[in-house]
Amino acid sequence: MLTIARLFGKSPFAPLQNHMDKVASCVGELPYLFKAFLEQDSEAIQRIAQKISNLEHEADLTKNDIRNHLPKSLFLPLDRSALLEILSLQDALADQAEQIAANAALLPVPLGEIPEMREDFTILCQKNIEVVRQARQVIKELEDLLECSFGGLEAEKVKGMVEQIAFNEYETVVVKNRLLKTLYSKGDKFPYPAFHLCLTLIEEIGNLARLSEKLGNRIRMLLELH
Amino acid sequence: MDIPFLLQGLTLLLGFYMAWNIGANDVANAMGTSVGSKALTLKKAVFLAAILEFSGAFFVGSSVSETIQKGIIEPTIFQADPMVFVLGMMGSLLATGVLLQIASYFGLPISTTHAIVGAVIGFGAAIGGMDAVYWGEVGWIAASWILSPVLSGIVAYFIFLLIQKKILYAIDPMEATRRLAPFFVFLCFNIVTLSLFYNGLSQLDLDFPLPFAFSISCGVSLGAALLSYKWIGRSHAASEILESGFHPAQAVSLEKALHHMQRVHLSNRSEAHAGKIAQILSDVRDLSSAVKKDSPFHHSSAHYHGVEKTFVFLQILSACLVAFAHGANDVANAIGPVAAVLGVLKTNAIASHSAIPSWLLALGGAGIVIGLATWGWRVIETIGSKITELTPTRGFAAEFGAAATILLASKLGLPISTTHALVGAVFGVGMARGLKALNLQTLKEIVASWLVTIPLCAILSIAMFYILKFFFL
Repeated sequence: MLTIARLFGKSPFAPLQNHMDKVASCVGELPYLFKAFLEQDSEAIQRIAQKISNLEHEADLTKNDIRNHLPKSLFLPLDRSALLEILSLQDALADQAEQIAANAALLPVPLGEIPEMREDFTILCQKNIEVVRQARQVIKELEDLLECSFGGLEAEKVKGMVEQIAFNEYETVVVKNRLLKTLYSKGDKFPYPAFHLCLTLIEEIGNLARLSEKLGNRIRMLLELH
Repeated sequence: MDIPFLLQGLTLLLGFYMAWNIGANDVANAMGTSVGSKALTLKKAVFLAAILEFSGAFFVGSSVSETIQKGIIEPTIFQADPMVFVLGMMGSLLATGVLLQIASYFGLPISTTHAIVGAVIGFGAAIGGMDAVYWGEVGWIAASWILSPVLSGIVAYFIFLLIQKKILYAIDPMEATRRLAPFFVFLCFNIVTLSLFYNGLSQLDLDFPLPFAFSISCGVSLGAALLSYKWIGRSHAASEILESGFHPAQAVSLEKALHHMQRVHLSNRSEAHAGKIAQILSDVRDLSSAVKKDSPFHHSSAHYHGVEKTFVFLQILSACLVAFAHGANDVANAIGPVAAVLGVLKTNAIASHSAIPSWLLALGGAGIVIGLATWGWRVIETIGSKITELTPTRGFAAEFGAAATILLASKLGLPISTTHALVGAVFGVGMARGLKALNLQTLKEIVASWLVTIPLCAILSIAMFYILKFFFL
């Protein structure tokens, strides 16, 4: 009878991927923010920061929705704790994007006026956003992973993706360190508040890749590899 | 019109109604998943289910029917007044029928098996006294109600684990399916044919001893397995030839070589070969990453679709198995009491050795088929649209576990609930990380339903007995 049909709960992956899409839309605004930041166009920065904040709020709503509506009587193919950890890592990414935008809007920084810093800063931003995009790809694989019970070729493929994320994160660190070195050597060209803000921003942008790598590794822990 | 004749007709009608009800509601369990995964069209599913339900009921249905007929209560207690026994059994049938009607109106998950067993116990204990009930046998039945979902869960878990380890985790899932599918075909056929040949064909006056039955069934299953091997080999022969690049198998092998090299590198203590080892290690690492880039890991999901396509046919097989097992076990719910009543009415005395007549089993089977044809197909359609989550591999594992358990119980003469066996099996697949999410709420509902069903049905059957007594005695 209908007992069998009632046995099946809702998929936990669809909401998770939905949340990640919202997070990605936050991060997707960052390139415009950085462009405005380098141009010291404070009006545009304010506008984009507001937009990111709104998007982050939307992502938060989705996140709370998932947390509140994850029924207690469900039996999932992955731990509830794993699901919630993945969710909070995704949330941390959105939070980080919002914080970066808020900080960038604090005061104009003459970073864009130094050509080599401008270049490295652009590369740093691009690479970090790329790593976030790769993490999103991994989240998209969850359905296929389930199809093969988190093992086999599909798992190998996801493992490869996570390894690639780790490698790209390493590259962002290289760029970040280079940029920091230049920043310290040209420190006298910045007023103190701007210098400190630069440090914070570089650190926070680097966090995007760091968090993405964590997210990738969390997914990797679900895999059954031999 | 004389009373015995009237009673006979009424009992047959009630039994037929019960069989109709079983066909209308419960056959969906067997075929729902296959229709849901589009392995079968509705028409074909109904057709297959009709054939298998009938043959299950006709050939293997007698032992459970005998349990309900005379295994739960001692008929000879009623020696003094056979009519009491007749009316009691009729009351049980009537009570179960009424309860089922109410349950299906309110959408409650009630098992026919639990209802009829509860009704018979209730009447026996209340009218014949505590001694009338075989409590030992009842204990066995109750234990089987708890054990059957557990057992089918365990079987389904291990079958799905086997599918995981040997097929889904394999480097070439399609090739692995080709090798393993005939084995599953063998298992399915063997279960059915063994239950048929061993004590099954007595309806046709054919009885084989166990070794002989076992060898026939093995022979038949082996033939089926060989046929399936040829057939799968032909339909998928051209699937995995690679035009260019590396095979994923090569990438995985290189990965293993890399692991071993690393182990050698780390444990190496001799200075003389250290450089050489490091050189080879870095060479292997470069090669491995190059091969990995060129091997089509990204085609992996296509592989799994191929596997699922093959399993569609295995799932049809397992669905047939469930239909067969269901017919074998559940026909008793309708036929057991009828057989008891007719046995008494024919001789007007209680005989302790009344066998189930073949025509009665056929009548039960026919009732199930008619129920399926007139109403059951609707339920199959609804269920099918709701259980799309059981993909063929998962559906196969669950159905196989359930069917094996139900057939075992049928052979042992234990009336169990098909639905609960299937629920247990689906949980088994879920435990092996095969399903997205399972609703644990359903388990509570099931336990609650059978705690309520049994006393309720017992009371109802006593009430029905007194009503019938008022009219006929």
